[in-house]
This record gives sequence, C-alpha cells and structure tokens, in this order.
Amino acid sequence: MSSRRPRSRQARVSRITDDQIAGLVSKLQRLIPHNIHTTHSDKVSASRVLQETCNYIKSLHREVDDLSERLSELLQSTDTNSAEADIIRSLFM
Amino acid sequence: MSPSQQPSSPNPTHLKIRFARRFLRALNNLNITKTSPDDDDDGENRVYRRSRRVKIAAYTAMASVVGSRRAWSRAVLWKVRNRSRNRSLLSVRPRRKRVDCKITNNDHDHAKVFVRRRNPNPKRDPFRDSGQVLKLRKLVPGAETMDSWCLMDETADYIKCLAAQVEVMKTLVDLYTTT
Repeated sequence: MSSRRPRSRQARVSRITDDQIAGLVSKLQRLIPHNIHTTHSDKVSASRVLQETCNYIKSLHREVDDLSERLSELLQSTDTNSAEADIIRSLFM
Repeated sequence: MSPSQQPSSPNPTHLKIRFARRFLRALNNLNITKTSPDDDDDGENRVYRRSRRVKIAAYTAMASVVGSRRAWSRAVLWKVRNRSRNRSLLSVRPRRKRVDCKITNNDHDHAKVFVRRRNPNPKRDPFRDSGQVLKLRKLVPGAETMDSWCLMDETADYIKCLAAQVEVMKTLVDLYTTT
C-alpha cells in the first residue's frame, strides 16, 4: 500500500512539533520581562521572543558578574556566619 | 498524546532559600581561605580573582540546588569540576557528558521519571539551527546538542533559576551594604 507513506505521519509529527514549540515559546515569553512587548501584545513572532530571551540571559549574566564583584568587595569587611543565614531566610518568608 | 512529562517546576521561594543557604556556605568557605593574601598578586588581579571565585560559587550553588535534573545544571557542575581538576593538575578522568534528551531516571530526592521526546531527525526540527537558536545554544550551558524542544525547556528553567539567583544576590548585597 503506497498510500500509507510516512508523509502523513511526518505531517502529524511536524504539526505536533510546531505546536509544542509554540507553547514553549509562549512560556518563554511569559518569563522574560514584559515591558518590552507593550506595543504588540500577543502577536509576537518566535524570533523576537528568542532574541529577547538571548538579551535577557546576557543581561542576567552581566548582573551576576556585577553583583559578584560587589559582593567580593563587601565580604572583605564583614564576616558571614550562621546568624546571617537566618536573617536572610526570614527576609524571604 | 503527551510525549513528555515535566518535573514540577520548583517553588521560586524554596529555590531562593536553598540557593541562599548553599551560597552563604560557599562564601563562608571562601572567606576563611581568603584571609591569607597572595603577595605576588597586585591589587587589581586579586580583586578580579576574588570576584571570579564568588561568581563561580554562585553558579555552582544554584546548579547544585537544581541537581542533576536538568542538563544545564549538570553541564555547569561538570565544567566547574573539570576546571578545578585541571587546576590541581590531577589527571582528568574521561567522562561522558550526556546532554542529548533521553529517558532519565532521577534517583535524587525528587525521584521522578520523566521522558523526553527523542527527536534526532533535523528534518522534523525546523528551528534547530536558525540564527537566534544558535545564539541561545551558546548562552545556555549544555545546550549545544539538544533538539529545539529540549532547548526551549532548558532555557525556561535556566531563566527561572538565573533570575532567582540574581534576586538573592541583590538581597545579599543590600544586606551587607546596610549593616
């Protein structure tokens, strides 16, 4: 039976792939900061979301670098002990 | 047909608390070992090395909180372990880093079996090597050989954990600047 070609199966699989990737792209869209998308609300292209994701990750890396630099300077003067950990835990609760 | 079941995403507050605990412990260790100054370093180099140690401690703490559930945390831990091994001039044991998606049995405290969809065929994966995706693969650790679906999934988790890490570090900086 030549009608049973993998073409239909392939179409079905690629449809699933597109849907799931679209779902994940929208999940990413929710995670990145919203102030960028104020102009067009839900019709954001996947490439734009990916680009914003890359920029966001890069900015997070830069922030980690900057914060670790400041932390290393601050840690010279102070000492960390277990009481601080409790303070921080109480900050988060 | 749901080809994959996700492990439940961690509560962000729990994540922050666990990260804060490990990070503080690591900083404590760093502080203890840092008290002996290196005389052959000039000031700038010393500052750079110290901040680099703090940065590595932060990434390691976050990766170890996530554990081996995620490919990016495994990649981070492997990289750090490899770097410290090379530094101490030990022989590097050849380890197979498995970053492609397959069935993974997790026997840590979050013992869940999650199945990832296996999609090695690039024809079915239209986004695999498009421009933005390549940039993303370079940014997310361990993401070089994944298919697009796993890549998106890892990216989402990575962003969540990175954002939590940044928030905790900001809180710490504020705490230490005020006291």
